[in-house]
Amino acid sequence: MFKHLIACVAVFLSISFPAFSQEDENWLETYNRNMFGFNMTVDKYIMKPVAKAYRSVTTKDIRNRITSALDNTEEPVTALNYLLQLKPKKNLNSIGRFLINTTLGLGGMFDVASGWGLKKEPTGFDETLAEYCVPDGPFFMAPFFGPFTVRSATGYIADGFSNPIYWAAINDKNYSAKISYSYAAVKAINSRERSLDLLDDLEKNSVDFYSTVRSAYLQNRQKMNQCGSDNVPSYDFDFDDEDY
Amino acid sequence: MKKHIAFIFSALFLFAQSANAEVDAAGAENFVKNTTQEGIVEIINSNASQAERDARFEKLFNSALDVKFIGQFVLGRNWRTASAEQREKFIDVYRKLNVKTWSKRFDEFKGKEFIFKGTSPSSSDNQIFVNSVVPMENAQPASVVWRVKEKDGKFKIVDIIIENVSLAITARNEYSAFIKKSPDGLNGLIADLEKKIAQE
Repeated sequence: MFKHLIACVAVFLSISFPAFSQEDENWLETYNRNMFGFNMTVDKYIMKPVAKAYRSVTTKDIRNRITSALDNTEEPVTALNYLLQLKPKKNLNSIGRFLINTTLGLGGMFDVASGWGLKKEPTGFDETLAEYCVPDGPFFMAPFFGPFTVRSATGYIADGFSNPIYWAAINDKNYSAKISYSYAAVKAINSRERSLDLLDDLEKNSVDFYSTVRSAYLQNRQKMNQCGSDNVPSYDFDFDDEDY
Repeated sequence: MKKHIAFIFSALFLFAQSANAEVDAAGAENFVKNTTQEGIVEIINSNASQAERDARFEKLFNSALDVKFIGQFVLGRNWRTASAEQREKFIDVYRKLNVKTWSKRFDEFKGKEFIFKGTSPSSSDNQIFVNSVVPMENAQPASVVWRVKEKDGKFKIVDIIIENVSLAITARNEYSAFIKKSPDGLNGLIADLEKKIAQE
C-alpha cells in the first residue's frame, strides 16, 4: 500500500514537473514574489511583533522548555517515518526518546534521552519521499506559510496528519478546534521567535531578499535530494578562475 | 587499442587525483583552526574597544579570505562584461559589506566553538573542504564547511557552507537577480551595496 502511494506521488511529480530547474518559470516567479511580499507584510505587522512580545515576556530557559516539548510532540512522526524509510535502529531510537522524554522529561520539556545517548534526529514524510527518489518539484511561496517545494509541502501536510496532537484533537470533539489552533499558534510563534535574529540579519544585508530566501531554502534541501548519487556534496560546484 | 585507451584514461585519472591530492589537507585544516581560534581569542573574547575589535576583524578577514576570487565568482557572467573600474569598485564594496556584516555576526558567536571533523576532497583544482560542526543550544549541531584554496603554499578561504548553504552561491543568485531587475545593472548593485554599508 505504502509503496503504491510513493509510486503515485513520484509519477505525479515527475509528469507534472519534468523540466524543473534552478530558475523559476516567469509566471511562477511573478506569483512567488507577490506572495513573498504579502507574507513579509503579514510578518511585519503580525508575526514579528507577536514573536518579539513572546520573547519579552519569557526567559530563554522557558522558551527552550517550550521548544523541547513541541519537538517531543513530533517524535512519533519521526518514528513513523523512520519505519517507512526502513531504518529500524533510528525508529527505535525515536520511540525510546518519545517514551523517556514524555515521562521522565516531564512531557518533553527536558530532553533526558539525549543525555542517555538517544540523540535527536528528526525526520518527516518529505525526507521519506526523498529516500524513495521522489523529485522535489518546483519552488513556491505558500500564503502565510512561506517557502515550499511541492514535495516539502506534501511532507508538511502528511506530518500534520500523523502528529499525535491532530489525533488528540480529533478524538475530543468539544475542544477539537481549540487544541488544533492553539498548538499551531504556539508552534508558529515559537518558530518565528527562534528565527528573529537570523532573518533580521539576512534581510538587512540582502539586496534581493526573495532570491536569498529561495536560494538558501533550495540549497539546504540538496543534501536529502541526492537519491542514488555517490554522495558528492551539492556545494562542490566548479569554482575555478577561468569559469567567469 | 582498448588497452591504450584504458591506459590513457587511467593516466588522466591519476593525474586528476594527484592534482587534487596536492592540497595539504592537514595544513588546510590547521589554517582554518588557527583562523577561527585567532578570531575567538583576539576578537570575541577580547576586552579591547569595539573600534579595535572591528579593526582586528577586518585584518583577519582580509588575510584569511580571498575576497577578489569570491567576488569574481559571485558576479558570474556579469564579471566578464564589467569594466575594470566596475570590477574594482564592486570588489571594494563587496569587501566592505562583508567585513561589516561578519564582524557583527562574529560577535554573536560568543560562547560557541567549532569542532573540526577532518577534510573532504573538492572537484576544483587546489581546493579542499574543511569540515566542522558548531554545537547549538536545543538543536542539532550546525554543520559549517570551509572551502579552502591553496596557492603557492598559502591557504585562503573561498567559501563558507553553513547547513549546506554556500554563501558564494547564495550571493551569486541574489546579485544576478538584482542586476537582471535593476535598470542600472551592475552600477545599480554597487550603489545598493554602498547604501547597505552606510546604514547602521
